[in-house]
Amino acid sequence: MSKKVYDVAIIGAGIVGTMTAFYLSKYNVNAVVLEAGIDIASGTTRANSAVIHAGYDAPEGSLKAKLNVKGAKMVGPIAKQLGVHYKKCGSLVLGYNKKDLNQLKILLVRGKKNGVRGLEILTQSQLRKMEPNVSRDAKYALYAPSAGIVCPYDLAYALGENSCTNGVDYIFEYKVDKIEKNQRNYLLYSNNRVVKAKYVVNAAGLYSDEIAEMLGDPLPFKIIPRRGEYLLLDKCEGKVVTHTLFVTPSEKGKGILVSPTVDGNVLVGPNANVVESKADTGVTVEGVREISEGARGIVPSINLNTVITTFAGVRSTPTSGDFYIQESKKFPRFVHAAGIESPGLASSPAIGEYIIKILDRAGLKMEEKEDYIPTRTKDGNCKLFMDMTESEKRNAVRKDPHYAKIVCRCEMVTEGDIINAIKRPIPAHTIDMVKRRTRAGMGRCQGGYCRAKVAEIIARELNIKISDVKKFTSNSNVIGGRTK
Amino acid sequence: MSKTMKKRLVIIGSGPAGLSCALSALKNGIPKENILVLEREEELGGTLNLCIHAGFGKDNKTGTELATELADKVRNAGITCMTSTTVLSIDKRKIITLISPELGYTKITAEAIVLATGCRERSRGGLSIGGTRPAGILSAGTAQRFINLEGYMPGAKTVVVGTTDLALVIARRITLEGGQVVFVCDSKKKPQSERVKVGECLDYFNIPLKLHTTITRIFGKDRIEGVEIAELDKKGRPIKETKERVECDSLVYSCGFIPENELANSLGIEMRQSTHGPRTTRKMETSIDGIFSCGNSRMIHEDVDDIILDGKKAGKFVAEHLKSLKEDKKKKKEKKQ
Ligand SMILES: Cc1cc2nc3c(=O)[nH]c(=O)nc-3n(C[C@H](O)[C@H](O)[C@H](O)COP(=O)(O)OP(=O)(O)OC[C@H]3O[C@@H](n4cnc5c(N)ncnc54)[C@H](O)[C@@H]3O)c2cc1C
Ligand SMILES: Cc1cc2nc3c(=O)[nH]c(=O)nc-3n(C[C@H](O)[C@H](O)[C@H](O)COP(=O)(O)OP(=O)(O)OC[C@H]3O[C@@H](n4cnc5c(N)ncnc54)[C@H](O)[C@@H]3O)c2cc1C
Repeated sequence: MSKKVYDVAIIGAGIVGTMTAFYLSKYNVNAVVLEAGIDIASGTTRANSAVIHAGYDAPEGSLKAKLNVKGAKMVGPIAKQLGVHYKKCGSLVLGYNKKDLNQLKILLVRGKKNGVRGLEILTQSQLRKMEPNVSRDAKYALYAPSAGIVCPYDLAYALGENSCTNGVDYIFEYKVDKIEKNQRNYLLYSNNRVVKAKYVVNAAGLYSDEIAEMLGDPLPFKIIPRRGEYLLLDKCEGKVVTHTLFVTPSEKGKGILVSPTVDGNVLVGPNANVVESKADTGVTVEGVREISEGARGIVPSINLNTVITTFAGVRSTPTSGDFYIQESKKFPRFVHAAGIESPGLASSPAIGEYIIKILDRAGLKMEEKEDYIPTRTKDGNCKLFMDMTESEKRNAVRKDPHYAKIVCRCEMVTEGDIINAIKRPIPAHTIDMVKRRTRAGMGRCQGGYCRAKVAEIIARELNIKISDVKKFTSNSNVIGGRTK
Repeated sequence: MSKTMKKRLVIIGSGPAGLSCALSALKNGIPKENILVLEREEELGGTLNLCIHAGFGKDNKTGTELATELADKVRNAGITCMTSTTVLSIDKRKIITLISPELGYTKITAEAIVLATGCRERSRGGLSIGGTRPAGILSAGTAQRFINLEGYMPGAKTVVVGTTDLALVIARRITLEGGQVVFVCDSKKKPQSERVKVGECLDYFNIPLKLHTTITRIFGKDRIEGVEIAELDKKGRPIKETKERVECDSLVYSCGFIPENELANSLGIEMRQSTHGPRTTRKMETSIDGIFSCGNSRMIHEDVDDIILDGKKAGKFVAEHLKSLKEDKKKKKEKKQ
C-alpha cells in the first residue's frame, strides 16, 4: 500500500472535476483526479448541447443562477488561455404565439435580475434579418448576445492537460467503489487499490449520489437520469443557422435546439426522456424522429439527410431543482458537487472557484505557485495543424515532416497531430481518444477512410500490435483476429 | 517568402481518371514537363489499390494490377507524379496550396486544373440505426483496408449491411479468409450491385441474403454483440412481428459512394444536386474557367472502363483549352508589337 497522502482527491474527470483541478493547480497543493473511465470527459461532459447559456433560465436567487451568470463570463478568458474553440454566437429563444411572448417577457425580467446584460425581445423582422432560415411561424425572439458555444470535451481536455502539466496526477479506470475514513484521511478504494487524501471533492456527475452513499452521507435529494439524443449535421449544412436557436421552454425543459458548433457543424437536439440506466447513451429510432420534427419546427428547410452521426447524453437531474455544492455536514473536508445538470458547463468556471473557496474555508493550505504554467504543456497549447496560421503551418512541416501527411481527409488532420495526441500530457491510446483530441474520424466519413491508418499509427507509436488497438475501453478492440 | 512553383496543367488525384487524363493530355500535345499529378496516398492508383479481386478492365485484371499498369505508363512517359502530397486548398486564380514531406508547405500556380479526386464512402450516419455505438462497426472500405493491406479480420461473425458491389465483394472476402458472414441485408427490394453478381459472391458461399430488411438496433456496450433486424412493410417501416435478434461480433456497412468534392466546394464551383459533383460543360469544364472535373469526383461511375474514358476525354479537352490559352497570349503579344 502506498504511503503517499494527497492533499486533495477529486472523484470524476468531467467538466466539474477538471475545472476544480485547473484552479487547484495554481497552488502548491498535492492533488489527484480519480476517473472511472479511460479518459477525461467520459460522462455527461462529452455529450451535451455545448451552449454557454447566458443565465436567464435559472430562478432568481438560486445557486444555478448565480454560478451560471458568473461562469459564462469566465469561459471566454479560460478558452483563450488554453487555446480552446469558443464562440460568442448569441442565442435566440423563439416565440410562436402570445403565450410564448409572455413567457419570453418573464425570461427577460428574470435574466435582468440575474445580471445578464444585453437581453432584448426582437420582432419577427429583426429575427429574420439575423436568421433568414428560421420558421415563418416564429414571431418573436428573446435575444441574448452574451450566450456562446464551446467544445465541451476539448475544454475538459485543456483543463486536464494544464492541471496535469502543473503537477496534478490523473488516474484512469479507477472507479471508486468503497470509501473509508481514518482519523486524518479519507481512503478511496477501487478494486483493492487505495488512494489516500485529506480532502475529497465528489464530482462524479450522475454517480455523485452513489459516492455520497459510500461515504455514509446520502444526498438530501434523488438524481434522475434523463437522456437527451442528438443529431450532428455535416459542415455543408453549417451555415443554416448562426445563433443557437431554442424554442420557448416548457415544463419539460428547454426543448430542442438547433445550434452551430465551434467546428462548423450543426447540432440538433436534445429530447428529454427518463431512462432506467445512467449509462444508457443509446440512440433510439423514435428519438431521432422526435428531434427531427423539432428541428423542422425551428428551421423548416434544414437538410437532415446530412446527418453524419448521432449520440446521446444523460442529464443528472436533481429532484431538488438546484446545484448542490457543499461540504458534508457529517464528514468534514469532503465536498459534494452534485445535481450539476444544465447549465453545468456554462457555470463550470464559477463552480470550480466555488469549490476552491469551500476547500479554503475547510482549512486547505493554499499558497500560490511561483512557477505556474498557463498553457496546456510547457511548450504551449498543442495547436492542431488546421488551426495554425500559414506561417505556423510552414514551420510545423519544416520541423516535423509528419505534419505534411494528412491522415483524416475530412477534417484535414495530419499524422503530426495524431502523434502529438499520443504524446500529450494525458496521452491518447485508443481510436476514440485520438478522435476527440484531433477530430480524426469526426468528419463526414466518420473514420471510414482514416480509422485503419489511425490504428496503425497508435500501434507503431506505442509499440503494440494493431489487433491490440482499442476503440475506447479495454474490451473494444477495433478489429478481430488475423486473416488466414 | 518561398517562391511559388509554376505548372501549366495540374491533375489532382491519381486514380484511373487522373492517370488516364495525364496520358491523354500528353497524347494531345501537352509536353510532359508541363504536367503534374498530385496524389495524397503513398502509391499511385487511387482506390484500385484496395481492390485485390479480379474483374477490372477488359482482361479481367485485379484492381492492383490495373493500378500498376496505369501508373507505369504515366511514369514511363516521363510525367512528374508527386505522391504523399495533399492539396489543402485551391483559389480562383488557380494557386494550389499543398503539403508533402518532400516539399513541405508549398504553393503551385497552374494554368489549368483537373479535379480527379474520386469518391468516398457514405457514412453510417445516413443509416440512422438505433442503439449504442460500440466497436466492431466498420465501413466496407475500412474493412477492406484491414483485410487486404494489414491482414486483419473485422471479427469472427460478421453482418454485412448493403448490397453494393463493394459489400458483396467484402462478404466473399471475409468468407474466403475464414470468417463467417451471418447474412447480408439491404432495405431495398433488389440488390444494389451493378457489376458483381450475387451468385458469385453469396450463393456460391452459402451466405444468406435478406432483402427489404433493415437493422433496427445495435446491441453491445464495448464491442458489438448483436443486431435486431426487421422486415419492412410497403411503406418501408419495420414490421414489429418480424423483429429478431441476431448475434454477431462485427458489422460491415456499405451505403454507397459520394463524389469527393471538398476542393470544388471550397472554390465555390457550381454543383449538381443529382450527382453531388460539379456541374460540367460538354467539355468537362466546371463553372470556373480552366478547372475541369472527371471520373468519380464528377459523378459516380459503376465501371472502371467508363472512368478511364472520362479521364481520357478530360485530358483531350484540357489540352485544347491550354492550346487556346497559348494562342490567345500569342495574339495579344502580336497586337502589342
Ligand atoms: C442532453 C444534455 C444537454 C446539456 N446541455 C448543456 C448546455 O448546453 N450547457 C450547459 O451549460 N450544460 C449542459 N448540460 C449539462 C452539462 O453537460 C453537465 O452539467 C456537465 O457536463 C456535468 O459535468 P460533471 O463533471 O458534473 O459530470 P460528468 O461529466 O458526468 O463527470 C463525472 C465523471 O465522474 C466519473 N465517475 C463517476 N463515478 C465514478 C466513480 N465511482 N469513481 C471515479 N469516477 C467516477 C464519470 O466517469 C465521469 O467522467 C447538458 C447535459 C445534457 C445531458
Ligand atoms: C458539441 C459537440 C460537437 C460534436 N461534434 C462532432 C463532430 O463534428 N463529429 C463527430 O463525429 N462527432 C461529434 N460529436 C459527437 C462525439 O464524437 C461523441 O459522439 C459524443 O461526444 C458522444 O460520445 P459517446 O461516447 O456517447 O459516443 P461515441 O463517441 O459515438 O462512441 C463511444 C462509445 O463508448 C461507449 N461508452 C461511453 N462511456 C463508456 C464507458 N465508461 N464504458 C464503456 N463504454 C462506454 C458509448 O456508449 C459509445 O457506444 C460532437 C459532440 C458534441 C457535444
